[in-house]
Amino acid sequence: MRLFGQRFRRELAIFGMSLIRSFALIQPSGRAAKSPSTRLIQASDKREEKGSKMILLESHSVIINDVLTDRFEKPSRADIQFVDYDNVRFHLSTPSSKTQLLLSMSIQCWPDLVKYGARDHLQHEYAGYLLDEANTEPEYNVSLLIDLDKLPESPEAKLDLISSLAHLKSTAMSSPFISAFNEQSSLQASYKEPAGAQLADQAPAEAKGDLKIVKYREEEAIYIQASHDRVTVIFSTVFKEETDRVYGRVFLQEFVDARRLQSLQNAPQVRYSNREPPLEIRHLPGLKNGEDWGYVTFVLSPRHFANPAQALATINRIQLFRDYLHYHIKCSKAYMHSRMRYRVAEFLKVLNRAKPEVASEKKTASGRTFRTR
Amino acid sequence: MSRQAPLVIDNGTGYTKMGFAGNSEPSFVFPTVIATHQSNSAGSSNSAPTTGRAPPPIAGKPSHLASKRGIEDLDFFIGDEAVANSKTYSLHYPIRHGQIENWDHMERFWEQSIFKYLRAEPEDHYVLLTEPPLNPPENRENTAEIMFESFNVQGLYIAVQAVLALAASWTSSKVNERTLTGVVIDSGDGVTHTIPVAEGYVIGSSIKHIPIAGRDITYFVQQLLRDRGESQQIPPEDQLRVAEKIKEDYTYVCQDIVKEFKKYDADPYKYFARFSGEHSVTGRKYDLDVGYERFLAPEIFFNPEIYSSDFLTPLPEVVDTVIQTSPIDVRRGLYKNIVLSGGSTMFKDFGKRLQRDVKAIVDGRIAGSETRSGSHIKSTGVEVNVISHKRQRYAVWYGGSLMASTPEFFNVSHSRENYQEYGPSLVRRFSVFGSAS
Repeated sequence: MRLFGQRFRRELAIFGMSLIRSFALIQPSGRAAKSPSTRLIQASDKREEKGSKMILLESHSVIINDVLTDRFEKPSRADIQFVDYDNVRFHLSTPSSKTQLLLSMSIQCWPDLVKYGARDHLQHEYAGYLLDEANTEPEYNVSLLIDLDKLPESPEAKLDLISSLAHLKSTAMSSPFISAFNEQSSLQASYKEPAGAQLADQAPAEAKGDLKIVKYREEEAIYIQASHDRVTVIFSTVFKEETDRVYGRVFLQEFVDARRLQSLQNAPQVRYSNREPPLEIRHLPGLKNGEDWGYVTFVLSPRHFANPAQALATINRIQLFRDYLHYHIKCSKAYMHSRMRYRVAEFLKVLNRAKPEVASEKKTASGRTFRTR
Repeated sequence: MSRQAPLVIDNGTGYTKMGFAGNSEPSFVFPTVIATHQSNSAGSSNSAPTTGRAPPPIAGKPSHLASKRGIEDLDFFIGDEAVANSKTYSLHYPIRHGQIENWDHMERFWEQSIFKYLRAEPEDHYVLLTEPPLNPPENRENTAEIMFESFNVQGLYIAVQAVLALAASWTSSKVNERTLTGVVIDSGDGVTHTIPVAEGYVIGSSIKHIPIAGRDITYFVQQLLRDRGESQQIPPEDQLRVAEKIKEDYTYVCQDIVKEFKKYDADPYKYFARFSGEHSVTGRKYDLDVGYERFLAPEIFFNPEIYSSDFLTPLPEVVDTVIQTSPIDVRRGLYKNIVLSGGSTMFKDFGKRLQRDVKAIVDGRIAGSETRSGSHIKSTGVEVNVISHKRQRYAVWYGGSLMASTPEFFNVSHSRENYQEYGPSLVRRFSVFGSAS
C-alpha cells in the first residue's frame, strides 16, 4: 500500500470528487449563473455530466427496463428472477396469461420501510398497479400487476410507465427520505428563532424529528433524522475485506476533503468518522464500533430538496451511496491491478534483457575447441 | 438469510451472456467488447511484448489539470453501448479464440457488467464463469484472482463450456439419463468446435475445430443472392444484414440435396419465399426471392466444398473422427449422446441430418468389419443419437444456470475462505458435479 503513496491518494480523491460532484449537480436550477466564474463552473459541470455517466450508477433497474420495453411491444411468457443491490430480489412472471405481468419485489428492510409509509407511497406512485397485501406473491413484499391490454396509448406515457416501474426499488426506498423531508418543513414552520440565539453560549434546544432507521443490509443501516434546518443522513458501513477497508477509509477521507473545492460548495456537507459512531446516533443500542466500521454523515440542507424533482434526484443519488462506494473501491482496485500488470510487464522486460549470455563452447569445423586462459 | 441467486456469466469471443441462476434465458446478451478512450493501448501484453503499450493514465502530474485527470480509466463502455460509441472511442475485444487475452480490459468489462447491468453486489453472490476447453490453468488463476480480490465474490466456479452444454441437453425429452458423457458440437459465429466429454472431463487430445460457422453461412447466403442477381434489390450497406436475416428466418437442412433441387424446380412458387425489406435510410421498400439458399446455406456443414476450398471434411465425418480418436471404452457413450449448442446449430432438421449421416458412417464401418471377419462375428450395432433441444442457442449459459441453481453448486464451488487459505492455485483443482453418480 505504501508503494503507491501519493498517487494512490490522489486517485481516490478524484473518485471521491466525482461522487460529490454528482451531488453538487443537484442545485437549484432557478439560480442563473451571475458571475463569469459560476458560469464556468456550471459549464464544466455540464461537460462532466456526459463523462460522469459511466462513473455513476443508474438508479433504475436495467433488466426491468429492457424486459418491459420488449413485452409492451410483444406480450409473451416470462419467468425471470433477478436482483438489485442490497438484497433486493425481483420476480417478473406471467402467472395467468401472457398479458398479465406480475412484478414482485422482496426487499430486506421492508418492515422498516413500512413504518415510514412505504406502502402508501407506493400506492400513490403505482396507483392501479399495486396489489394489496393479500394478493402479494408469497415470499415477496410488493407485487405490481400490469395488464398489457390496458396500457396507456401514447408512446410517451408508456415510456414514463416503464421508467417508473424500473425505479420500483428506489421508489420504495425513498419513503423514509420523503417523510423526513416533510418533517423538516413542518419543523421549520413551527420553529421560532429564540431571542438569544445569537449568543453562542445560549444554544437553543433544537427541534428534532424522530430518528428513522432503515436496516438496508445485514449489518448496515441508514439513519435519517430531520431537524428544523437540515436532514441528516448517516450511513454505517462495514468492510469485510482488509484491503477494502484501507481503500474505503482513504476514499471516504478524500471524499470529505473534496468538498472544500470551490466548485463543489453546493454539495451537501459530508463527515466521516471511523470506528466511533457520530453523536446523533451514539445513544442507540447495538451500534458496532470496530476497526472495520465507518460512519458517513450527509447533511442535506433544504435547498437539496426544495422541489419534488430535486428531492427525487437527491434521494436517488443518496440511496446508491453504498453501492457507489463499493463500486468505486472495486474500480480503483482494477485500476491498481492494471498498473501492477503494466509494471510487471516492464520488470519482465528488464529481466529478459538481463539474461546472461550462455558461454557455450565454440568449435571449429574440424571439431577443435578454443579455450580462454 | 436466504442465499442470493448466483451470477452466471458466459463470456464468449463474440457475445457475453449474463444473468442469474434459475432463469431459462440470460438477462443480457451483448458483444464482448469494450470501448475505451486510449487508442494506443490496443495491443495486449503478449501480442506486443517488445514495443510495449502505453501505461495506464497517471493522475499525478502537478498541474492545475490534475483534478481533471485520472478518471480516464472509468471512461469506457461495454457491449452494445460500446458499439454505439465506436466513433469516438476505440473498440477492444478482450477475448480472442475463447480465451481472455487482455486482463485489464476484461477486469473492467466485468466491473461494469456486474455493477451496471446485473446490478448485483458481488460480495453477496456466488459466480459461475465459463471457460473454453484447454484453457491454461494460469488463465483460471488470473480469473480467480480478479474475482476474489477485486470483486470479493463469495464463491467461484469455473465450468467448461462443453460440459455446461451437455447439462443443458438434459431438458430435452429424448434424454432419459443424466450423463456427462457426450460429444458437444458448439457452433457460434466464428468457429465450430467438436468436443468429446467423458464423465465431465474433456478429452483434450480429440477436440477438432471446423473453420465454418455462422458468419460463413451468412457470407454464403450473400454470395448466393449475388449469383442469382437478387442482391441488386438490396442496398449495399444492408446486404450482410439481409443475408443474416434470411439465414435466421428461412433456412432449413434438407435430407437429400438433389431431390430438394428437383422439388424447387418443379414448383418454384410453392417453395420460393419472398423477403421484403425496407431501406434503412430512404425507407424504399424492396422485395426479393429466397430460393435455393434456403437449404443450401446450412448445407456447407455437410458439403463444405460448395463454399470453401481449403476445408473439405464434412461435419459428420469430423464427429466420427473425434469419437474414433477418443478412448475405446467411452466411444459408445459418445455416439449415443451428440449434443448441439450455439446459434449456428439452430437450423431446422440439423440434428436429424447429422444423426443420419453419422449413423451411415458408423453402420458402413461395422458392415465392413463384419465382412472382413468372414461374417463370423455379428455386431449388436451402435446407437447414434443427436440431441437438439429448445435451449440450444444459449445452451452453455442455460447449463450454467441449471447447475448453479442446484444446492450442490455451493458445495463444489471454490469458496472465499478456501481461496484465502490456499490462494489462486485453488482453482487448478477441477471438480465435476451434476453427474448421475
